[in-house]
This record gives sequence, C-alpha cells and structure tokens, in this order.
Amino acid sequence: MLNNFEFIKAKNLEEVLQLLSNSSIKTKIISGGTDVIPGMMQSSSRFSNVKRLIDINAVSELESVKETNNNVLIGSGLTFTDIVGNELLNQEFPLLCKASSKVGSLQIRNRATIGGNIVNNAPCADSLSPLLCYDASLIIQSKHLRKQIMLKDFLQKPYSTLLGDDEIITFIQIPKLRKNYKGDFYKLGRRRGVAISRLSLSVLIYTENNIIKDLRIAGGAIAPVAIRFDEVENFSTSKKINKDLLITLSQKVGKTVLDITGLRWSSDYKLPVVQQSLYQLLRKILYN
Amino acid sequence: MKKDFSIVGKEVIRQDGLEKVTGTAMFADDIVLKDILYGVMLRTTVVHAEIKSIDFSEIADNKNLTAIITSEDIPGAKKVGAIKKDQPIFCFDKVRTSGDVLAMLVGNNEKEIKKLLTKIKVEYSELPILSNSSLAMNEDAPVIHEESSNNLICEYPLRKGNVEEGFKNSDYVIERSYSTSYQEHAYIEPEAVIAIPLEGNKGVKIIGSIQNPHTTRSVAASVLGWPLAKVRVEQAELGGSFGGKDDTMNVLAARASIAAVKCNRPVKIRYNREDSILESYKRHPYKMKYKAGFNVDGKIKAMKIDIIADGGAYASMTPFVTWRSVVQATGSYEIENVETNVKGVYTNNPYTGAFRGFGSPQPVFAQESLMDEIAEELKISPFKLREINGYNSGSVTASGQILNSHEVTLKKVLAKASDESGFNDKWEKFSKDRVQKDFIIGSEQREKEFILDKEQFIEPENVWRRGIGLSCSFRGCSLGAEGIDAASVFVSLQNDGSVYLHSGLAENGQGLRTTFSIVVSEVLGIPFEDVFYLGIDTGYVMDSGPTVASRSTIMGGGAVKDATEKIKRNLLDVFIENYNIPQIARVEFTNGMVTYDKYSMSFKDLCKLAYNKGVNISAVGWYAGPNVDWDEEKGQGNAYFTYVYGCQVAEVKVNITTGEVYIENITAVHDPGKVINLLGAKGQVYGGVTQGAGLCLWEELNTIDGKIKHQNFDELLIPTSKDIDNIDVHFVEGEEEYGPWGAKSLGEPTLELTSAAISNAIYNATGVRYRNLPLNLEEIVLNRKLSPASVKRGSA
Amino acid sequence: MIQISFILNGKKVKLETDENRRLIDILREDFSLTGTKEGCSIGECGACTIIMNKLAVNSCLVLAGQLIDSEILTIEGVSENGKLNVLQENFLKYGAVQCGYCTPGMIMSIYALLLKNNNPADEEIKEAIAGNLCRCTGYKQIIDAARATADTDMITDLSQ
Repeated sequence: MLNNFEFIKAKNLEEVLQLLSNSSIKTKIISGGTDVIPGMMQSSSRFSNVKRLIDINAVSELESVKETNNNVLIGSGLTFTDIVGNELLNQEFPLLCKASSKVGSLQIRNRATIGGNIVNNAPCADSLSPLLCYDASLIIQSKHLRKQIMLKDFLQKPYSTLLGDDEIITFIQIPKLRKNYKGDFYKLGRRRGVAISRLSLSVLIYTENNIIKDLRIAGGAIAPVAIRFDEVENFSTSKKINKDLLITLSQKVGKTVLDITGLRWSSDYKLPVVQQSLYQLLRKILYN
Repeated sequence: MKKDFSIVGKEVIRQDGLEKVTGTAMFADDIVLKDILYGVMLRTTVVHAEIKSIDFSEIADNKNLTAIITSEDIPGAKKVGAIKKDQPIFCFDKVRTSGDVLAMLVGNNEKEIKKLLTKIKVEYSELPILSNSSLAMNEDAPVIHEESSNNLICEYPLRKGNVEEGFKNSDYVIERSYSTSYQEHAYIEPEAVIAIPLEGNKGVKIIGSIQNPHTTRSVAASVLGWPLAKVRVEQAELGGSFGGKDDTMNVLAARASIAAVKCNRPVKIRYNREDSILESYKRHPYKMKYKAGFNVDGKIKAMKIDIIADGGAYASMTPFVTWRSVVQATGSYEIENVETNVKGVYTNNPYTGAFRGFGSPQPVFAQESLMDEIAEELKISPFKLREINGYNSGSVTASGQILNSHEVTLKKVLAKASDESGFNDKWEKFSKDRVQKDFIIGSEQREKEFILDKEQFIEPENVWRRGIGLSCSFRGCSLGAEGIDAASVFVSLQNDGSVYLHSGLAENGQGLRTTFSIVVSEVLGIPFEDVFYLGIDTGYVMDSGPTVASRSTIMGGGAVKDATEKIKRNLLDVFIENYNIPQIARVEFTNGMVTYDKYSMSFKDLCKLAYNKGVNISAVGWYAGPNVDWDEEKGQGNAYFTYVYGCQVAEVKVNITTGEVYIENITAVHDPGKVINLLGAKGQVYGGVTQGAGLCLWEELNTIDGKIKHQNFDELLIPTSKDIDNIDVHFVEGEEEYGPWGAKSLGEPTLELTSAAISNAIYNATGVRYRNLPLNLEEIVLNRKLSPASVKRGSA
Repeated sequence: MIQISFILNGKKVKLETDENRRLIDILREDFSLTGTKEGCSIGECGACTIIMNKLAVNSCLVLAGQLIDSEILTIEGVSENGKLNVLQENFLKYGAVQCGYCTPGMIMSIYALLLKNNNPADEEIKEAIAGNLCRCTGYKQIIDAARATADTDMITDLSQ
C-alpha cells in the first residue's frame, strides 16, 4: 500500500533543481520506480515517509549519451534497456552493457535507470562493478552547484550515498579506454532467470607482452558496497601473467574481502566462491 | 475395452482457454459488487504467547471503520480443522504461530482501514517458542495446544515381517538421514474471497479462489452455526492451488461470512503476497532416518524408517499427509521386512498441509537417494538395483497389499526412461569422468582459514560437471483408506444435443473441465464444443469430496462416464423403438450421428425425439472407489485400490566452484493409465517436474524462531523460464479396470520424483551425496545449511 | 489529485486520480480492465505486465502521474474486434494455459518481444518471459506457443 504523496512531473532539469532546492518535505526523485515503489509497498524506512516525488521521465537532458574527446557522458535517466541497445556504449563499455542486460527482468530493465541503480546503492546492484572498473565519476547538480565526484567515493554504506537532498545525478562520466583492454563481467545468481546477484565481478585488463600494465577488478554483493580492489591491482602491475599469478590475485581479493567484511553468516560460502569465480573469470579473459 | 477413440487421448484445446487468453476470465478479485466492504487482518507480532488484551479504543470511532470482527462475533465453532478442530478463525486465548490473526477490521476503504491496524494495542504474555520438530516430543517441550498433553498430531506404525531378523540376515546395513524443507505453493493468484449476505433467510453466498467448495461450505456453516444448505459456495476462476487453497481459504471464507452477516453487506478479503506467504500453510518439512539391510546380490532384505513431519501450529491435513508417507515410504520395491514409524508433531512454525504430492515428495527424495547409496555400496548401477527390487505384478507392498488388480508397469517406465535418456551409458561415463577429491572448497578445514590453497583452484575445464540420475515411484490413486471416496456429477442433455455438465469436483487450472467434457464427447460421439461445463456451485451439485490426491480423472471422470452412459441407454431405447430394430443391436454413436445398419439419425434429432417423447435425458453419475482397508496397529492393509508408476531421469551440470546446478533435461515417464487429453497430460508433467525441481534446488523458505524470512518473490525463488532447459515427456499406458477407460492419476507423481532424480544426478556429477533439501548454492558448496540468523530483509 | 491523459488500448482517456495510485489500480478499478493481474506488487511476478510505449512493463510499478502522454496496451487491447490474435490462438493450441492467472501478462511480454523481433531465438523468448512467473505449466508449452507465433508477421502494434 502506498502512502499519500505529492507527485510532480518535471519538464526539465531546471525545474527539478528548483524543486529540490526548496523542499521542506521529504522528497525523492522517481524515474523507473523499480526501487521506490517496492520500497513504499514494503514500508521500507527509506521510502515510507516520502512526501513528494519528482518524476524525471520527461527530462530529456537526462536521457542522452554524449561523447567528447576523452569521455562518454551517460544520462542518469537511461534505462538498462537503453544501455543494452546503445551502440556507442556497447563499443566503448561492453562490461557495462553486459551487466545491464542481467539486471532484473526485461520488464524491470525497461523502466529501471542507471542513475537509480547508483543512488539506491544496493550491495548487489549490477551496474556498479563495471562502472567502478571504468573509473566512472558522477556529475551531480543542485540549483547552485555542479560538481563531479568519483563513483567509488560516492558509494558510502549500503543504500546510502553522498547525494545531498537538493542534488541529482545528471550524468555518469566515463573516460574512454585509450588502449586495447580485455575484460568481462560475471554474475552469479541463485537461479538463471531474474536473479539478485549472489556476487558479481568485473575485470578489465591491459597487457603488453604478457605483462600486466593495468588491471582493474571490482565486485558487487561481496562487501557492504560495490568495491574496487586497488591494492590487488597495484600488486599486479608489471607482473608476468601465469596461472600462479592469477591464483595469487584471486587469493588476495579473498583476503581483502575478509578484511573488509570480517566473518559474516555468508562468509563460509562467499569467500571461497569469490576466489574461485575471479580465477575463472581471469582465466577466461586471458586464456581464451 | 474400447480401443478406437474419437477424441480420448488426442490433444484437445482446453474448454476454458478463450476467457483466459483474452483476460476475461473472472478470478475472485475481478468481481466487483456494489456496497462492498473489505476485511483486513490484525496479525500477531509474536510467535507464541497468551493474549492478555486487545485494545481497539483508539480506532473505535474512526469513520472508515464499519466493524471490528473478533472471535466474540462467532456464533458457531470458534475453531476449525479438516481432522482436528484446532485452528481458531480468530485467535482468542493464544497465538501459536507467526501467521495468526486476532481480529479483522471491516470498512469500505481498504487502504484507510489498513492504516488503523497499527493503532490497535495488543498485550501478550510470551511463551517459549518450539521451532525444532525433533524436540517437539521432549518432556520439557512447550505444549502448543493445551487441550493435549503433548505435541503429537498423529503417529502411524507399519510392521511387516521381522526387521531385526532381516538386518541380521543382510550382508550390508547402512543408515542415512535425510531432510526436506518447507515449500510454498506459490500459486500466482493470491487468496481472495467474497461473502455475500442473501436476502431474508437464504443465508450467505461465498465466491472465491477456493479449491474445495464443499469443504469451504462446511467450515463456513460450522462457524456461522448454520445448516450446510444455508451456505452456498461458488468457485471463482482459480489462479492456481496445488493443494494450497483449502484450509486457508476455508478460514478466510468463514471470516468474510461472519463479517458479511454482521454488517449485512458483501465483504471481500484479498491478500497480497506477503499476507499469503505469512498465513497460508506449506509443504511439511520432514526429517527421515532410513536404515537398510541388503545382500551382495542387490536384494534389499529389511528397511527401518523413522519420520518426523513438522505439522506447525495446526493439524490441518497432517494426519492424511503422513499416512500416505507410511504407505509409500519404502518406495516401489518389494521388501520382506519393514518397520516404519511416521509422526506428525505440532510446533510454533507455520502450519503445513496439503501440497501436490501430499506426503510423497519427501520420502521419495529420501528413499530414492538411499537406493543410489545402496547401489554405490554394492558397486552396481542404480538402474540395476531398481530392476532387482522393483515391483512386478503380484508383488506385495510394505502394507501387505498384493498388486494384482492392475498392470504393474514399474519396470516398463524404468526401461522407457532409461532408454529415452540413454541412462546407463551416460551414468557409466560420468561416473568415470568424475575427478575425485578435488571437490573440497568450503569443507571443514576451511572454517577457520578462508583463503584457498593453490591446489584448490579448479581448472576451467573441470568447473562444470555433468551427471545423470534417476528415481522411481509408485503412488496410490485417490484418497485410499484416508477418506470417503466417491464423486458425483450431473449431466443434462438439451433437446438440441448440447450438454450441461455439473461436477462436484473443481477446476483448479489442471484442466478438469476439458477432461470431463472429453469423456461426455467420447461416450455420445458428439463434438467436444457441444459440452458446457458449468462452474462449481455447492447449490447445484453433490459433495464429491475434495479435488485432491490426483483423483479427479479417475473418480470424477468415472462419474461423468457413468452419467453419460445412463443417458445414452435412454437414447438407445428411443432409437431402437423408433426404427423397431432388435434390442441387442450394435448402435454406433459417432460424429454426431447415431447409426445402426441402414438406420441413421443425427444425435440432435435423437435428443429432440427423446425430449418430445418425455424421456429423461439427464442423469446423475456416481463413482465410488472399491473398498480399501487399513489396520492402524500394524499398518497393514489394501491402502489404495490402485496405483500408478513413474520414473524420471535428470541430466544436470554442476558448477563445482559456485554450487550452481543447471538442469539440462528431465525425461519423465509416467503411467497414468489411459491418457484422456494428451495436451493437458503433458502440461501436468511439465508443471509438476518444474515444481519438483523448485523443491530440490531453489525454493528456500526459512523460518527463524517460527518467523518466515522469505515473504515475497524477490526472496522466495520459484523456477523461471530460464532454469530448466528441456523436459521430455513419455506416457506408458498400463491396463486398468477402474476409472474412465482405465484413466488414473498424473498430477502428483510428476512432482514427487524430480528432487531425487536431480540429487542423484548431482552425485553422479560430483561424487558428493546431498541429503538435505533444498540444494541451493551454499548447500552444494558446503554440504550443509547456511542461512542468515535474522529475518531482516535484504541482508547479504 | 492529479489530472492525467494517456492512450489506452488505442483510445485517448482522461481522468483525475490520487497520486499514490498505480497503473494496475487504474486499469482494474477505473477502466474495469481486470485482465491485468496482481501477484506480488513489487515487480517480481510479471502477472501485471502491460505494454507501455511499446515496451513490456510491470503495471504495479507505474504511478498514475507517470502515465501522462503514454501509450498503454493491455490484454483487452490485443484482440481486434473480438478476434483472437495468432499468439492467443497458439496459446490455446499448444496448451500454454492452465490456471490462466499468469496468462495475460505472459501474452503481453511475448507480444512486446514479437513487436521488436518477429523471429526470436528460444533463448530470447525465455529471456522475455523470465520476469513472468508461472506455477502451472513449467513454461514449456508457453515457449512452444511463442515459437509458433514467431515469423508469422501476424503481430501488429495496436497501441496507437
């Protein structure tokens, strides 16, 4: 059952920012509604006392994909179906497109937006680990300010981010990869159809003469929020690729997860499976 | 026996398909009535407690509130139940489980009255919670129902031969324990019911998503304190049931009726998914200990079985469900010495009752896993072990019943399933391919040290393992010695040759309307389209017992055939008299024509003629099963009047690094007797197999201290279109004297076999034996249960 | 209250309604289009699937205000002048229907798929209905019906 709220269909970004700036009542932005409405139906504390919804579906500025020399800017209002079908994104950021194709059901992907996925910051959000791998940053706007923040800094705690009450993510900015990176996205669910991620992994790697020049590893649903494994990545730099190294990297990721999460009810399962899955993914990327 | 059929056994399009594909079929919540009120439930916040007080004062004057209904408003029975009257319509002294309801608020604005629920103050005095069924019979266990001295719902012993002697004379004796978990019916339509007060002294009419209208009627009548005939129950289109829309719906119908009578307005109750999962009953979790003695030649000599079924807070169907278990616990094998003890016990967990399979999926999982374990001990193939021990015609069951009244097709279905799937060769190959000892991630040694050793990383080519497994079962048809077993229908021919068909058994989506109409069409040789099955309404047709136990086709189909043949005899007399032909003439009823030699008349004209001559062209059909008997002390007797046999083979691949199991194929071979509608029969198998696979792999429904963790489809994972690659169906039609042309049962055997076949295939793939369902990711990797300790949603 | 207008099954409709009502409430209660079913209310079961702006969408996750200027097609809008479309015919022919509760949503999902791609592979069919739970059929005959409808060119967009 949905509580009463005020609903405003914003016509443009300016109106959204104006509405956000003088909001004395608890306001949320709604786009696809695939998190907001279930949250309200199930009386989640994040949504049950929302008094005003600002709908951004008609804000066309947020539905564009822009390309600059060095970056691609993805409108936060793009649905996952939009992303899966976007040629430029498929070409530049295949991991993001693959992850997007595995979000929820087709009905969900037809509505759910990438901006919503980021703001909701569920531990299992599928788009986050590829975005972290691509070093995505967020363009955040309020009536008085436009700022840019790295995604990894934005994600604070599960279901909690640095987004201020008067702010909206307008674009996700991703630097183009200049070199020929290889990579892949892996998602493990409890079933094949429409599964919440039990874990997800994104890996990007650039090598020269079988030496790692740049390795990026990110994971979802294995720590409280989606994470990049910086230390493991740094360790790998300039190392020669062989099976032993891939095992070492997988072990180090396992160790990092253990350090971050401590022992949880799911550790007995997740820790070995993260290591095995990362090893498999690295093998698949590098040996195929 | 008739061999050439005009419609029986063909692929017939279901009779109620048109309204279903156009969205015009009327399910209970689709029905709109003027001046309707809604009922919403005040549900307990604790699991086991005495109710000290309920304070409605803060809402009493609310303008949206038409009535508050509690136990005090009930004029008749305050507690109901299929066998034991132990379930309160509204709790008044105690709450016993997390789904319990204390009161119902009634008003015309459902949203607004829901908001009032939080303003009601209930004072509880909490009691210790009994959540472990193994502890239910302990001296110090909290007693759930104070009118009993302990928590025993029912107990069934079965004794055949001398089991201790049997073990002594066995070359091997092994003992194994198995368990199964809850399964939610997960019908996609949540519960909905409307009670409508009728004018004057006519009573009340109930329309709802009700599996067994006559049962609902007797419950509602007892609660109202009224005669049965003052309550009429009509079934709305039913959005899935699988045994699930029985007790829960009876209670909801009773609540709605009380409110409707009190307010003198129609009252609707409609549940959302969370309400449905919280309050509805589930499949019983079983804990099963099996001990088997067998010889080197593969012959099983003795078997001792102890089963505890968790009945939850209310008895519901537990005494019948567990009775089927005691009859079938040794599976489809002839064993000289058997001792079985099955107990159903009360706990504070969600209550459990009827669910497709009805006490068989659990022992079939255990018994058929055990068969593979025995084969493993003996180093013989699972196929061969079943060949050696499987029932033949004339075999004697554990309850001492001689299987001689029907064709025992166990070996036929086993051979067919094995041939179709290429079982033996694949099983051999996968057994050999299996790399032993590398499947150790997460094993005991990992509990302190979580970082894998180098040698534990699996090479990509070894990640996915393939396996094949089989399982067999025999299943008693219909109710057996557990209940009165008869069914009735009313068939009424119109003077233009079209037909009304009224049945006491209900369409639950399984295709009963179509099956019954096919029987009429076949007997009279008329187009299927001329038969009109009318919705079930207790006002129009006799109580035929419940639509359960895969009994509709054999019992109801038998009754339809009986009624139709009675009418046909009357028509025949008219035809013979009209043409003045010999009484013994072989008159044919085919293609809408009635023919003998050169005499021919359209069926329509014959109906008209009979009508004009004042001949009765309607009939009540009746079908009663032959006698069955049961000795409660020894567990011996002719439990069911006939049986069906099935064999399923599962082919899976298992990811040994993540625990993911993917089902590549299920070959399902069943003997349902004569198939009436091939299209519907296949649908039964596909659906049953899929539910069985769900029970095995995905459908985790946890309780923590009696509270349910998985409350909606985001967490309760039932199979989707992507989870099973293929299902291959074959029928072996065994000879049978009962039922229409020997048609028996199919709905439930399809489900009961699947989990064991999958688990055996996983063993074939991995060399690891899993004995506790569900086999989710964690179970496969760790071979033990791993669940969060809190019911908080969304915890990782 | 909020004023909205949108195209429903090819006809322009207008209404004034509470902000907290969902598309499924509006369809079922205001337009008596009860073919669209509710099964979970959180977008997991797909029983409420309709086509919104040519895409399959859960109508339990669309708010009244989000309907403004949209095109909505429901199960009631897919048969023309009471004549079944070929997908509906195939649902009957292949035994894709049992209890019928998931059927309208299932048909809408496949209809939306075929509008975009009239010759989908089995995997695409399975993916298109993965968000439509069915407890009766095991999906097999539904997939058969979809496959039989593919490549027929018989599915046309009736939403405008």
